[in-house]
Amino acid sequence: MKPDYAVARTDLIDGIFAFRIWTRLGWQEIKRRYRRTVFGPLWATLSLGIFIAAISFVWAPLFNADVRTYLPYLTAGMVSWSFVSALITEGCASFTAGEAIIKQLNFPYSPFTFMVVWRNTIVLFHHLAILIVVYIALPERVSFNLFLFIPGLLIVAVNGAWIVMLLGMVSARFRDIPPLIGNLVQVMLFVTPIFWEPSQLGAKARYFVTPNYLYHLIDILRSPLLGDRPAMFSYAITIVGAILGWAVTLMIYARFRRRIAYWL
Amino acid sequence: MTTAILDNVTVDFPIYGSSHKSLRQTLFAGARKLFGREAPRQPRVVVRALENVTFELNDGDRLGLIGHNGAGKSTLLRVLAGVYAPTSGIIRLEGRISPLFNASPGLDLDDTGYENIKTCGMFLGMNVSQINKRIADIASFSELGEYLDLPVRTYSSGMLTRLSFAIATSIDPDILLLDEGLATGDVRFATRAEERLNHLIARSSILVLASHSDAMIETMCNRCALLEKGHLISIGPVEQVIDLYHRRTESQAAAIGGAVAIS
Repeated sequence: MKPDYAVARTDLIDGIFAFRIWTRLGWQEIKRRYRRTVFGPLWATLSLGIFIAAISFVWAPLFNADVRTYLPYLTAGMVSWSFVSALITEGCASFTAGEAIIKQLNFPYSPFTFMVVWRNTIVLFHHLAILIVVYIALPERVSFNLFLFIPGLLIVAVNGAWIVMLLGMVSARFRDIPPLIGNLVQVMLFVTPIFWEPSQLGAKARYFVTPNYLYHLIDILRSPLLGDRPAMFSYAITIVGAILGWAVTLMIYARFRRRIAYWL
Repeated sequence: MTTAILDNVTVDFPIYGSSHKSLRQTLFAGARKLFGREAPRQPRVVVRALENVTFELNDGDRLGLIGHNGAGKSTLLRVLAGVYAPTSGIIRLEGRISPLFNASPGLDLDDTGYENIKTCGMFLGMNVSQINKRIADIASFSELGEYLDLPVRTYSSGMLTRLSFAIATSIDPDILLLDEGLATGDVRFATRAEERLNHLIARSSILVLASHSDAMIETMCNRCALLEKGHLISIGPVEQVIDLYHRRTESQAAAIGGAVAIS
C-alpha cells in the first residue's frame, strides 16, 4: 500500500484544531472514572502517595539510604513514571477506544491520540500534590531548576504523542500487543532506576541505564522536581527520539491510516 | 455545488481472528523468510462487501438504497461517510457529509443530557456557539426539560431516543446519509420525528437513505439503487427499481422453492 502523506497531514492538522473535543473528552474521562466518589481524581494521587510512603519507609533502610533523600527521590521518580507508563499502556487502547466514532464518522483519528496525552497530563498535575507535601517537609529540595520541569514535560508529551499513536495503531491490528506491552511496562518499572539510583549499579549502569530510553524521559521530569538539572545527554536523546519517533510514526500512519477502520 | 461520485468502488473486509494472520503467524512468517524458507502462504480471508460500484449524485438527488440484509447498503453508506476507504476505486465528495446512523456519536451514558448535547454536537461538526444556539431547540423537541441535567443513564429508552434524534437532526448537512430506523418511539413521537426528519432532508442538498420500507423510499426519494451481494444491480427511477427488486426477490424465492420441491 502506498503511503498517503496528505491524508496523514490533514488528519493531524484537523486533529490539533479539534482541541476542544480532545481536551473535553480527556476531562470527561477523568470525571467518569471517579464519578460519585468524594475524592474524585485525587484517588489516584492518594493511592500513589500511600504507595510511595510505604515503600520509602521500608526500602530506605533496605538500601541503607536516608529517608530524607530517598523519599523525595522515590516520589519524583514515581510521579514521573506513572505519567510515562500510563502513556504507554493507555496508548495501546487509544484507537480501539474510539471505535464507535471511527466506524461512524469521517472524523480525524489523531484526537484520540492527543486525548490520551492530555488526560494523563491532567493526572500528572494531580500527582504533583504529593510532591508539594514532600516540599513542605523538605523545603531544601526546591530550587530554580524546578522551572526545567516545564520543558521536560513538553518533550515527554511530544514523545508520548508518537508513542500513543504508534502503539494505538499496532494494537488495533495485533491484539496481542496490549498485554505484551502491559507486561513489559511492569518489568521496566524495576529495570529503570526509580526505586534505586543509577550510581548504585556502578560501572554496569552504562549497559543497563544509558540505553534505556525510558530512563531519559524520566530524568528530564524527575531531576527538576528534585531541584537538580537533568543531564544534557538526556535532553539530547529525548529530543532526537521525539524527531525520529514522529518520523517513523508518520511514515507508518501515512501508510495505514486508511486501514485503521478495517482493523477495529 | 454538492456532488458525490463513486467510480468502480470495491470494498473488501479482512476477517481477523479466524486463525488468519495473527501476530504469531506474522512473526513466524518473518522468521522463516529470514532463514530462507518460504512460509506456507495462507489465503487472505476477505469478504467482498462492495464490488465495482459506480454512480454519481448531484444537487437535489434523493437516493434510496434497497436490497436484502447483507447486500452492502450499510457498507455503501459508510464508504460515502468516509469511514471506510475503498480497497480499490475512487470516491470524490464535495460538500459536508453528515452520517446519521444508529446512535449519537460520542454519547456517554454517565454524562448529563446537556453534556451529551455538547459532545455529540462537536462530533457532528458544530462549534460551541452553533451548539449553544441549538440547545433550546434540542431541549424543546426532546421534551426532556429538567431531565437534561441528569445523567443519560437514568433516561428511559424512549427519552434516550428522543435526545439522540433531536441532536442528530439539528445539523445542517450538505450530503445527508441516513440508515433506517433512526427514529423509533411511541406514535406521537413518530409523527413529530417524521416532520423533523423531513425538515432536515429539505435542508440537505443530497440525501442517501438505506431502508427496507418501500413507502419510506417512495415518499422521500427521487432515485433508487438496488444492491445485491455487493453489486449495484440497477439505479434509476424509484418505482422501476422497487418493482425490479420485488420481481428478483420473487424469482429467487421461486428458485429456492423449486429446489426444495425437487429434493
